[in-house]
Amino acid sequence: MELKNLQQYWDNFPEISMEERPVLSSDLEKIVVRNPLSDAFYLKKKILFRIIAGGLLLLYNLYQLREQYTTGGGDLDRQVVIFFTLGYFVYFHTRLLLFADYPALLALRLMPFLQKVETILDKYILSFGVVSILCGFYALAILEKILFWYKPGALLSMNNSGIYKWLIIIFLSVSFYILFLHMIIPKYKKLLVAVRRYKNGIAARPQKK
Amino acid sequence: MNNPQKKEGPDQDLRSLLKAQHKRVYSICRFFANNYKEHQRLFANIISAASQSIRSRRGEESKQVLLLRACINMVALHSITLEMEPAVDRSIQFKSPDYQKNMLQFRERMGNISDFDKMRLFLEFEKLSPGEIADLTGPLPSRNVVPKEGIKKNFIPYLKEKLIWS
Repeated sequence: MELKNLQQYWDNFPEISMEERPVLSSDLEKIVVRNPLSDAFYLKKKILFRIIAGGLLLLYNLYQLREQYTTGGGDLDRQVVIFFTLGYFVYFHTRLLLFADYPALLALRLMPFLQKVETILDKYILSFGVVSILCGFYALAILEKILFWYKPGALLSMNNSGIYKWLIIIFLSVSFYILFLHMIIPKYKKLLVAVRRYKNGIAARPQKK
Repeated sequence: MNNPQKKEGPDQDLRSLLKAQHKRVYSICRFFANNYKEHQRLFANIISAASQSIRSRRGEESKQVLLLRACINMVALHSITLEMEPAVDRSIQFKSPDYQKNMLQFRERMGNISDFDKMRLFLEFEKLSPGEIADLTGPLPSRNVVPKEGIKKNFIPYLKEKLIWS
């Protein structure tokens, strides 16, 4: 009975006034081509940027790897690790981008849609782990360049003791991860929690209709 | 080099569909938008989401179904975004006194129901059958499922969950 009353009320609902009418038909032309997802949900550009950057770094790494191999340099182990990390980094982001399938995302049914948004955010947050490892490697490379210009002796001693080099990489990677954990990750974590809560709220709906 | 015939193609069909269905999109905004700005933003987002879904359509779904899915998915994102802004003013504010009065009465009659119930109500008002409604929302997880937290997972299922994204 209540639903019937509401339906009747709904059918007689007035039109929104012209001054408040959100969009006139002429504006439709502009609306149909814009992206409906806000920056927080639309990670395509960020993921694409990472894939391109990772690809370029991978090419540079291959060049360095070849150089180390031909000259018998002592930095071969580090270049090999960077190669595998970068390979995984590019693979992970390519897979995430293909999984997200942004053009077809909004055509999904509600629950699979929310599930997919949740997975994308979850995997994007996870990706900061690999980013921080790479940051550790490249921060050390920059540090070595600086030492090369200012204190060549210190660089030589660091290169001679491999264990310290790896310890520095671990320290830098953990530091970068802590930095991301405090600066960037909370924004996505908050969004992930909101999506998860919303999805669980629907799942925990009362049974009576 | 502009081809005048180009505008008459699928894009024109899409525009015609959206123009014909815009009242339906206005009406779902009544449930979720509290003021003119929200109404405008939500309407534009739904229209662009629907157009994007229809353009990149791969399956057998009809344009009407894709439009309704876009409506539901976008209102879900709208609610999530609003939920993340606790300081937002949730009172109903429309310029037109008549519309404002009707909105207040409608919300009062509707009561404090969940977003999912609002979606179901909207779909019922649109005269959709329960089967069609279920097709728009997708399978809801069983309420009797034990929460994942607190269960010690075996290694293989854990690895499977990490490697296979769904």
